[in-house]
Amino acid sequence: MTVSILIVAVLIGVVLLRHRANRPARERRRIEDALKHLFDMEYRGGEATLSSLKGVLRLADRHVLALVARMQSLGFVRVRGQAFGLTPAGNRLARQIVRAHRLLERYFADEARLPLRQVHAAAEHHEHTMTPADVERLSADMGHPSVDPHGDPIPTREGHVPPAEGVPLTAWPTGSDARIVQIEDEPPVAFAQILAEGLHVGLRLRVLEHTPDRVVLTDGGTEIRLAPAVAANVFVAPAVDEAALTGAIRLTELPDRTRAEVVRIDDACRGFSRRRLMDLGLTEGAVVTPVLRSFAGDPRAYHVRGTTVALRRDQAAHVIVRPLESAWRETA
Amino acid sequence: MTPSPTDVIRRAAELREALGGTFRDEAVRALYAEAGEVARRAVRTQGARLDLDQRIDRIVTSPVFGLPLMALLLAVVFWITVAGANVPSNLLARALFAIEGAAVQLFDQLGAPWWLTGFLWNGVYRGLAWVVSVMLPPMAIFFPLFTMLEDLGYLPRVAFNLDFLFRRAGAHGKQALTMAMGFGCNAAGVIATRVIDSPRERLIAILTNNFVPCNGRYPTLIMLATIFVGASFPAAFASVAAAGAVVAIVCVGVAMTLAVSWALSRTLLRGEASAFTLELPPYRRPSVLRILYTSLIDRTLFVLWRAVMTAAPAGAVIWLLANIHVGGASLAQYAAGGLDPLGRAIGLDGAVLLAYVIAIPANEIVVPTLMMIYTGAGMMTDVTSLDDLQRLLVDQNGWTLLTAVNLMLFSLLHNPCATTILTIYRETMSVRWTAIGALLPLAIGFAVTFVVATVWRLFI
Amino acid sequence: MSAHHCDSCAIHAELERMGVDLSRFDRVVALAGNPNTGKSTLFNALTGLKQHTGNWPGKTVARAEGGFEFNGVRYKLVDLPGTYSLLSASQDEQIARDFLLFGRPDATIVVADATALERNLNLILQVLEITDRVVVAVNLLDEARRKGIEIDLRTLARDLGVPVAGIVARTGEGLHALLTQLDGIASGAIATRPRRTKVSGDLQRAVDELVPLVEAVCPGIPNARWIAIRLLDGDAEVEAALASGRLAQIAARQQQAPETFSRKIALEGAQ
Repeated sequence: MTVSILIVAVLIGVVLLRHRANRPARERRRIEDALKHLFDMEYRGGEATLSSLKGVLRLADRHVLALVARMQSLGFVRVRGQAFGLTPAGNRLARQIVRAHRLLERYFADEARLPLRQVHAAAEHHEHTMTPADVERLSADMGHPSVDPHGDPIPTREGHVPPAEGVPLTAWPTGSDARIVQIEDEPPVAFAQILAEGLHVGLRLRVLEHTPDRVVLTDGGTEIRLAPAVAANVFVAPAVDEAALTGAIRLTELPDRTRAEVVRIDDACRGFSRRRLMDLGLTEGAVVTPVLRSFAGDPRAYHVRGTTVALRRDQAAHVIVRPLESAWRETA
Repeated sequence: MTPSPTDVIRRAAELREALGGTFRDEAVRALYAEAGEVARRAVRTQGARLDLDQRIDRIVTSPVFGLPLMALLLAVVFWITVAGANVPSNLLARALFAIEGAAVQLFDQLGAPWWLTGFLWNGVYRGLAWVVSVMLPPMAIFFPLFTMLEDLGYLPRVAFNLDFLFRRAGAHGKQALTMAMGFGCNAAGVIATRVIDSPRERLIAILTNNFVPCNGRYPTLIMLATIFVGASFPAAFASVAAAGAVVAIVCVGVAMTLAVSWALSRTLLRGEASAFTLELPPYRRPSVLRILYTSLIDRTLFVLWRAVMTAAPAGAVIWLLANIHVGGASLAQYAAGGLDPLGRAIGLDGAVLLAYVIAIPANEIVVPTLMMIYTGAGMMTDVTSLDDLQRLLVDQNGWTLLTAVNLMLFSLLHNPCATTILTIYRETMSVRWTAIGALLPLAIGFAVTFVVATVWRLFI
Repeated sequence: MSAHHCDSCAIHAELERMGVDLSRFDRVVALAGNPNTGKSTLFNALTGLKQHTGNWPGKTVARAEGGFEFNGVRYKLVDLPGTYSLLSASQDEQIARDFLLFGRPDATIVVADATALERNLNLILQVLEITDRVVVAVNLLDEARRKGIEIDLRTLARDLGVPVAGIVARTGEGLHALLTQLDGIASGAIATRPRRTKVSGDLQRAVDELVPLVEAVCPGIPNARWIAIRLLDGDAEVEAALASGRLAQIAARQQQAPETFSRKIALEGAQ
């Protein structure tokens, strides 16, 4: 009996001690999250307030106020009326955290291949324990990417952040070609819908119609309909090469034994997958022919540069090709 | 003034930022542009010849014929192994056990104490002799056949055909290649997972490799299939039926691999499928010498040597267990008795479980260990033919079809051998993954055999 | 002993770090190539049973090395992992690249598949950027003939600026010519002018700016262009090797290496 009471007491003690030991880490995490939020709001030309911070940190008013006071004393934040702003020191620190966060998102999307809707949470989980050296190594390993998987710019080591270049899809004129440069990952419901429609950063599209209750667009093949509130979370910029939409199709759409020329690998394919596809010779101008189709049609094997290479559908879909005019088709 | 290295690195970073994100693409594009230019000048292709490779590939990877062809090929390989190994196995056994008999006689004549004769010849030597006679012939047939398929270039086609299953399981198509290697030896299969680039998918392949039966387990499977399945068919079809039963077990293993891969990629190893690029190299005429060298020296002798090295000490352990008596019963009897309730619950018995505990160093010795435990005194009665074996198992130890089925299942689903466990550790450098790799198959083995036994007893 | 002796020690130290034991060999030859090009067949044909397999130090990547003798010179042949490229950061590619860059083998044989030369050239061109002591072995000539593919080896050699040998590793065809060329490259008797890949526009300007800087930091470095491109790519390992002076040291030794080796052979001959 006494033994079990003793054990319980020790256990409670251990839990309490760990809680206490975690306190600095927890405070650091909250401060960093708050800085990130303040930075985000300023970057978008908005202002952070008590209620916006409350929403992000999911804390009671008094805790948020205490946190802001602590950040003020650390010299990161200044309060102007209802709004909170970053001091130069706070801004510097915020950029470092944002850099770690976006690099991690890039890592989880490209290298660990987590689904896009999970990368934000995974990055949140890991960003607070990264040392500056970890961040630099991560960036180097991935070839110093410049944007995160949602299209947000990653601040450089020196803290330089290029301005956002896109305009919301709702403000894009109908009939002209655009390229998605950024997709908001908040709110999650809208983000999930955007992903479900197959939209991704780098996708080229054309707005066909927009009315107060819907925005209709096409990626060259299928028609996509979005509610304006959702479409406003997709930011686009002018397509770089206007020719890309004419006559180009995805490698998955290329009929068997038809020759085509590789136009490019789309921007959604990143990291190791992209490098591997290019290593195999799927670069601009390469002639590629689908030659084999396995059970269920996926994977298919393609003839490229004298070799036969099998690719799964989700990878081949990133390769944009233009069927060759002199295409020969087997009559059989 | 000479710049410092840090200046150069900093300048490179500035230039990189100015170049934008297209740098890598541009570098690879330039390389291939150059490669194309050089190739155009140096390579001449005389018209479009009929490409034999592609015509073979259309059949071999055909959505209709691809999979049946593969199953047929697998069955043929097993059939050749089963049918071909039988006679040489018996001859080897006869020869090796004759040596034992002669040696025992010689020792007796020289007046050696009974325990020395027993330990050396009925323990150590008998373990060795069994392993050599049971394992060598099938391996010497299976490995060259397998190496030939490998050399021919058929294995990547297997990966191509099966990828749709692995994709759905969240795993990599090349896992099929590592499984194929696992048929030879699971430790080799674990090493072969290096062809998978994604760490997540590689771990899945490592943790599930043990679900394909390796060479050390075939003798058990083949023996049971021959005694319990083959024997219930007319003699002409016996070896075909036995091969069919082995293929069925292999299919259970493949299904288990897929199921566990699927479960892992949704729990412990979450993530989406990574880049799957699989080159289908041209078919190549296999070189006979190389096949013989690779399969006999690299594989057969390697695996056999490993088995021999574990069989000898295991033979000694069994002999000791069976001959050290405490209070009227041998240690082996105590141990088997202790394990018996657990064994019965999963349709086996205590002796089988004890055999698996002793056989952790190498699966090959499960059957000889079992024989020694059953026959007591650490000595087999003269079990040189399968008929003798059948009498021993069925008549003397009450084996039923359920025992055979569950032993085949348990032989497929249990912890990897010590070498494989060590290899998993070397490849993952993680105690956690090694533990999972060792215990997960064992837990599944207990679960599956328990369910089969319970259902069987309820309905049959 | 003179400083030369220590130079050779230091090169050996780099190689020993990669697990190469040089005690009974005069020269080190690396064997590179794409997967499925018959690289291991050539390795077996050259070394026979005199081979040793294991892992690269600290990595789970298999390595094989073996020895052979030609014209009285004892060669150590190190089989590098089969790779499509040296640009991606996979473990295999990193090992192959590090060996060529830091190990500075006396010669490198790049095996190419005659039936898919274009794809193989991608790797050959990358190797030529790192080292100029290269022999290209165009393998599987028999298969190419069967498919009606003809390789103009002479044009290929001229375009690449290094010797090219056509071989059939399986039957041994062309191996003698390959070894003769290898001998010439390793001893320095054959001078090479390796082709360097053209890049254009902003990238070219960036490379042009960096190359003199790299050469200033590492005088005599034979692959400043490649280092410049890797620095632009943000290759952490190359950055570290530049910052620590490892590259500069290797470059300094590389210039003296042929002399060191011939001296070493001469010394052993005198014993």
